[in-house]
Amino acid sequence: MTMLSSVAERLYWMSRYLERAEDTARLVGAYNHLIMDIPRGSEPAWDIMIRILDAVRAFEDRYRVVSEQNVIRLLIADTTAPCSIPFAIASARENVRTTRDVLPEEAWELVNELHLYVGEAAKSSVGRRNRHPFLAEVIARCQMINGLLLSTLSRDHAYRFIKLGRLLECADMGTRVVDVGAGDILDRAGSHAAIEPLLWSVLLQALSASSAYRREVGPIVEANDVVNFVFTQGNFPRSVKFCVAGIREELTPLSNHEPALRVINRIRRRLKGLSVEEITREELHIFIDDFQLQLNALHQSIADTWFRIDAP
Amino acid sequence: MTKGWKGYQAVDLFDELITAKGGARTAARQALRLLQGLPEEEMIARRRSADLAIREMGISFTVYTEGGNIDRAWPFDIIPRIITAREWSQVSLGLQQRSRALNCFIDDIYNQQRILADGVVPAEIVLDSPNFKAPCMGMSPRYGVWAHICGSDLVRDQSGRFFVLEDNLRVPSGVSYMVENREITKRVLPELFENYSILPVDDYPLRLYETLAQLSPRTRRRPTVVVLTPGIYNSAYFEHAFLAQGMGAELVEGPDLFVDTDDCVYMRTVDGPERVDVVYRRIDEEFMDPEAFRADSVLGVPGLMRAWKQGNVAIANAPGSGVADDKVIYAFVPEMIRYYLNEKPLVNSVPTYLCMREKDRDYVLGNLDKLVVKPANESGGYGIMVGPHSTRATHREFARLIEKDPRNYIAQPTLSLSTAPTYVDTSVEPRHLDLRPFILQGKDCWVTPGGLTRVAMKKGSLVVNSSQGGGSKDTWIVEGKS
Repeated sequence: MTMLSSVAERLYWMSRYLERAEDTARLVGAYNHLIMDIPRGSEPAWDIMIRILDAVRAFEDRYRVVSEQNVIRLLIADTTAPCSIPFAIASARENVRTTRDVLPEEAWELVNELHLYVGEAAKSSVGRRNRHPFLAEVIARCQMINGLLLSTLSRDHAYRFIKLGRLLECADMGTRVVDVGAGDILDRAGSHAAIEPLLWSVLLQALSASSAYRREVGPIVEANDVVNFVFTQGNFPRSVKFCVAGIREELTPLSNHEPALRVINRIRRRLKGLSVEEITREELHIFIDDFQLQLNALHQSIADTWFRIDAP
Repeated sequence: MTKGWKGYQAVDLFDELITAKGGARTAARQALRLLQGLPEEEMIARRRSADLAIREMGISFTVYTEGGNIDRAWPFDIIPRIITAREWSQVSLGLQQRSRALNCFIDDIYNQQRILADGVVPAEIVLDSPNFKAPCMGMSPRYGVWAHICGSDLVRDQSGRFFVLEDNLRVPSGVSYMVENREITKRVLPELFENYSILPVDDYPLRLYETLAQLSPRTRRRPTVVVLTPGIYNSAYFEHAFLAQGMGAELVEGPDLFVDTDDCVYMRTVDGPERVDVVYRRIDEEFMDPEAFRADSVLGVPGLMRAWKQGNVAIANAPGSGVADDKVIYAFVPEMIRYYLNEKPLVNSVPTYLCMREKDRDYVLGNLDKLVVKPANESGGYGIMVGPHSTRATHREFARLIEKDPRNYIAQPTLSLSTAPTYVDTSVEPRHLDLRPFILQGKDCWVTPGGLTRVAMKKGSLVVNSSQGGGSKDTWIVEGKS
């Protein structure tokens, strides 16, 4: 089966954007729950989410005060900021529009409907009252699209690039969440120590990992265990290890895979070498920083090898 | 019964389904009996299910507006147009004859130019035309065929005779809607099919593939054919995707292709460069290759002309084909048929006045209120003046335009286009229509049974273009005694 590089690229981005939208919705939803559990005055700042999503610049371009309303408005109602849910959905839709012929017919309809829904509902969902149903709807629709692709796509190149995009985005989000938990909040933590377990369980929720964690590790949420779980629990499909293994599996059958395989093997070695018990928070932060760079290198290698590139 | 059937009558016009006396034409009898027997609610319900099918099937076309591009649902009228196979076979032969002659003409122009030397066609109207592409001189594509796909527009006059109005040889569109219209009718009026044997139209993509595959420079069991589209914002993008899918071909944009140092065309795939044998281009030749034509084109493929001239890739329609797609050249097609084929034209052309000729021009300027004036080089129904329907001011404006650039204008008598019963709002009314069959020319020639019927949805209007609010109908070629 021939697959145009440009089509592969669009499928890959469609998938990354859908995953990003879903993950962002989850993160906002989880954080939203946390806020209600915490006594007034000791809430962690709203900017945690903007930092997790690497959206500080986008935020500062638009707002001066870090408030709940502003942060939520940026993440769920802004149509121009790359970190927002509407932006991710619109980008996914644009990519599906030109790849309809390699996707199941319903894929376009579902993505288009999701786009229409977000366009209609986002602005009125900034307030606390409508926020939760909106986020739940976005997550459910994203899952529906994923389910459709998973259950109807032939396991050929199209599926492969969709899976690569999703897993890369998922691994990226997992490491971001842990990084903020580990590096940022807790080091300057005196005031937040009391809510630390709550915060970690929110981060688990943001990764849809709560129940898997409880079953695997137990009900007590503790920093090292969470970090360990998110990175190295190979059975959990949103763990970094699982994503990395899946990426490797899909890279292997592609032609000219050597450069990308080199990167993913390097990533695998780093992951194996990680021993959470023995490293400090600072070292963990450095590890994650480097890990993110490796994920970027992986993306670059995929783009250089398989996406639209200039003639030799 | 729906309003409008009773007393439906075509006065001084040819109606496709109903005779001047108000009775059903023989071929339409069964269909009319059924349609007229449907209660009004039922007609409304059928139309609604057609609208729904169009949305579900995602049949759309793109319209340019000030606020960006919008996808519009395809406008469709549920009452089919019915033509007998016997009548159609004559038209079909005439179209094949035209296609052969037009291809002889293009091949001649880019080689010996016999027809110019013999003075049958004045040299200046060919060689000074912007459609004449000097870089194509000396090329001889396989079978001598340049225009592999032609969409000719047909109309009928009062007597019911078919006339060819123009031959679209550049990137004619509409064929996907012909196929989809049949699909919609099957869904919403299935009982109509019981009493008819209607020639199928859904094999078009297959026929197109066969025509294109014959052109492959390499002998392979399955040559690599691609459809080259300007992209999602082109009004016919839906059709480009439809045809690519129907042929199992890749739908590519300019940047997906490149020409390597071996002067072969390759597409960029995830498995590396893959050689392309045939390019079905749905992009104007001006934009096809920035090296050969417009340097500012970002849609094209640098070097594509070079690869074509080396014989390493086939392009359909061949660059330069547009030289025969010109309303001035149109006037000479009957001469071409006699000159190249030594045959009598089997299908009529509309008498055409060339404003470049002094005698013709004087007549046109004196009779602007009776004539249709068209620019030689536009498509989509743009820049046309229908004399009887225009104001004095418009007549004066066109007189000025003609005097300024006579080569660019032709005029034809206003034909009273045929009508067919069309379901408008809540009643059935006559509406004018035309017909665009598609002619495929490779080693052999093949014509679609029927084609795309376009309807002017506005009362009395003669403008059928979908970009200007036209609709469409399913077109049946029916076999049997009638």
